[in-house]
Amino acid sequence: MSYERKLDEFNRRVETGSKVEAADWMPDDYRRGVLKFIEMHANSEIMGALPERECLPKAPTLKRKMSLAAKIQDEIGHAQLLYRVAEDLGKSRTAMYEDLLAGKSKFHNVFHYPVHHWGDVAVIGWLIDGAALVTQAALLDSSYAPYTRVLKRICSEEQLHLRHGEHITLQLASGTDYQREMFQDALNRWWLPIIHFFGPRSNVAKDLLLRWKVKTRTNEDLRQEFLDRYVPKVTELGFSFPTPVPRPEGNSWVVADEDIDWAPLDAIKKNQGPETERRLGLRRAVYDSHRWVREALSEPAVHAA
Amino acid sequence: MEVYEIFRRSGHKSPFEHCGAVIAPDPEMALLLGKECFLRRREGEHLWVVRRSDIHALEDESVLEIAADKSYRFASDYRDVVGKREAARRRVASMSSGGAS
Amino acid sequence: MKEAFVSLVTALADDELIIGHRHSEWTGFAPHIEEDVAFSSIAQDEIGHASAFYSLIAEATDTTPDRMALGREPGDYRHAVLCERPNRDWSYSLVRHWLYDTADDVRLEALQESAHAGLAALATKIRREERYHLLHANAWIKRVSEGPVEGRTRLIDALGRCYLEALALFDSLELEDSILENDLLPCSSSELRSRFAKRATSELDDFGLPADIHRDLDDSAEFLASSSGDLIASDQGAPTTSSRSGIGGRAGEHSDDFKPLWDEMTSTHRQHPDAQW
Repeated sequence: MSYERKLDEFNRRVETGSKVEAADWMPDDYRRGVLKFIEMHANSEIMGALPERECLPKAPTLKRKMSLAAKIQDEIGHAQLLYRVAEDLGKSRTAMYEDLLAGKSKFHNVFHYPVHHWGDVAVIGWLIDGAALVTQAALLDSSYAPYTRVLKRICSEEQLHLRHGEHITLQLASGTDYQREMFQDALNRWWLPIIHFFGPRSNVAKDLLLRWKVKTRTNEDLRQEFLDRYVPKVTELGFSFPTPVPRPEGNSWVVADEDIDWAPLDAIKKNQGPETERRLGLRRAVYDSHRWVREALSEPAVHAA
Repeated sequence: MEVYEIFRRSGHKSPFEHCGAVIAPDPEMALLLGKECFLRRREGEHLWVVRRSDIHALEDESVLEIAADKSYRFASDYRDVVGKREAARRRVASMSSGGAS
Repeated sequence: MKEAFVSLVTALADDELIIGHRHSEWTGFAPHIEEDVAFSSIAQDEIGHASAFYSLIAEATDTTPDRMALGREPGDYRHAVLCERPNRDWSYSLVRHWLYDTADDVRLEALQESAHAGLAALATKIRREERYHLLHANAWIKRVSEGPVEGRTRLIDALGRCYLEALALFDSLELEDSILENDLLPCSSSELRSRFAKRATSELDDFGLPADIHRDLDDSAEFLASSSGDLIASDQGAPTTSSRSGIGGRAGEHSDDFKPLWDEMTSTHRQHPDAQW
C-alpha cells in the first residue's frame, strides 16, 4: 500500500474514533507529535517534583511529612510510566532526559516558579493538581491507546492528590489568621501561572494533535471547566483572586483575555522562568556526577566476590 | 539494562495481570523496583517480572478474527434451551395422559 | 523506669526521623527513576517508624508525636551523628543505608525481647518492614561492588567515612544502666555493637569489600567530627573511663551538620507550634 493510502486509511480510522497502538503503522507527524507531547508530560512530572520537594523538609507534622513524600513519589512514578510509553515511540529515556537537561525539550510552566512556604503546598496540591486533572481526564479519550492506559492510573492518583491538597487547604482556611494569609499569599503568586497552564486559545485549524485526536478538547474549553469548578470553591473559603480576576457570567466564571499578561509564559517557553536554570542546573549536576551509577547498572559484573 | 514487564496477582480468584514495566539491570533489581513502582499500595500479593525480550507477540493479529460461524462456542447459541425444556415437559405430560405422540 | 524508657525510645525514634529526613532528600534526584520511587518508600517507612516510637513516648508522658519530632531544641535530640550527615553522593547514601539498616536489624532483633510489651511488639512489626530495606541495600551494594572500578572505589571511600559513625549507633545510651536493669533492652549497647561489627565485617567480606577500612574501635581515642564531616582523631592523651567513643549523638552532642537540618525541619512547626496543619 502506498504511503498516501496508508495515510488516508489512518486518518479515517482516527476520525471514526479508532485507537492507535505502539506497533501500528502511523504517519511520521503523528509519531513525532505524540512523542513530543508525552515527553513533555513526563518532563513535567519529573520537574514538578522539584518545587514540592523544596517544601518537604519543612513539613509541619509527621503525617504531612509522609503524605507529601508519598505524593511526590507518585509524581516520579508518573514520569516513569510516561517515559516508558514515550520510549516505545522511538526515543530512549536517556535521550529524553538529556534533552530535558540541555533545555531542548520543555516542561509545564507552573514548575518554573519558586516555592516559599506551606501555603504553596496547599495551592499546588489543590489548584494546580486540580488543573492537571482537568487536562488529564480529557486525555483519557486520546487516540493513542498506550497513553490512555497509563493515564488511567495517573488520573486515579491525581484524584488522591487533589483530595490531599484540598485537605491541607481546608486546614489552613479554618486555621489562624496567619495560616489563612499563607494561603492567600501563595494564591496571589500562583494564580496567573495557573491560568497560563492551560495555554493560549487553541488554533483548531493548525493543531495537529487536536486533528488526530491525541488531544480532544481545546485549551480554552479546559480552562473554562477549571474556572467553573474551582473559582466558587476558593471564593467560598473567603479568599480573593489577583489579576486576572474571574468574573461571573451566567453560571460561569470568566477570565477576560485582555486581563491575562502572557509575557511570563513567553519567557518560560524559552526556558527563562524564575527557577528554570537553577532547577535544571541541579539536575545536571547530579546527573553528571553520577555517571558511575549508570555504568554500574548497565555493565555486567566485572568481578564477583 | 533492559525493560522488564511487571505482573501482579491479587488473591486466588484472578490470574496474574500485566501492570507496567521497569528498566532494571537484572531480575533481582526488577523485582525490588517493581514492588515499589507497582505494588506499593498492596495492589497485589504476588509479583512476576519478565524480560520484555522474552515476550512474543502475534505478528499478524488478524488471524484472531472469527471468520466462519463459530457460534457453537458461545452460550448465546443455546438460548433456546428454555423453549426446549417446555417442549420436553409437554411431551412427558402427554405420556402420562395416555396418548402416544 | 519511665525515664529509662523515654531515653531508649527517644534515641530510636530520633535515629529513624533524622535518617528518614535525609533519605527523603533524594526524592526527585535519585540516579535512576525507578530507584527514586523505591528509595522514597524507604524514607517514608523510617519516618513512619519514628512516628510509632514517638507515639509510645506520648502514651507514657504528656506530649505528642509531632511535638517530640518537631518541637524540641537541637540539644534534646538523641540520634546518632551518622543520621544527620548530609547525603553527599549516592555512594555515601547507599553505604549509610546499608550500615544503618544492618545495625537496625541487630537492634530490633534484641528489642523484640524487651520486657516492655508495647516496645517488643513494635520492634517485631518494624523488623518485618525492614526486610525490604535490607534486600534493597544488599542488592545495590552487591551490584556496585561487582561493577566497574569507579563505583567500587566510591563505596570503599564511603565505608571509610561511615563505618566508625555506624559503630557509634551503639554508643551507650543515657540511663543505660536503668534501661538494662528494667530489661527494656535485653543486652547492653556494647554487646549490640560487637554483634553488629561481627555481622557487618562478615557481610562486607562477602561483598569482597576490603576489611582494613573497618578498624576496631579504640575506646581510648576521641574522634571529633569536623564541620566538613571528616573524622579527626584528637591528640587527647589519656584514655577516658567512659565507654562512649565521644562521636556523639546519644547525649545530645551533634555535629555542625545538625543545626541547619533542624532549622529547616522544624521551621514551619516552630512558627506556629499550636496550629493544626
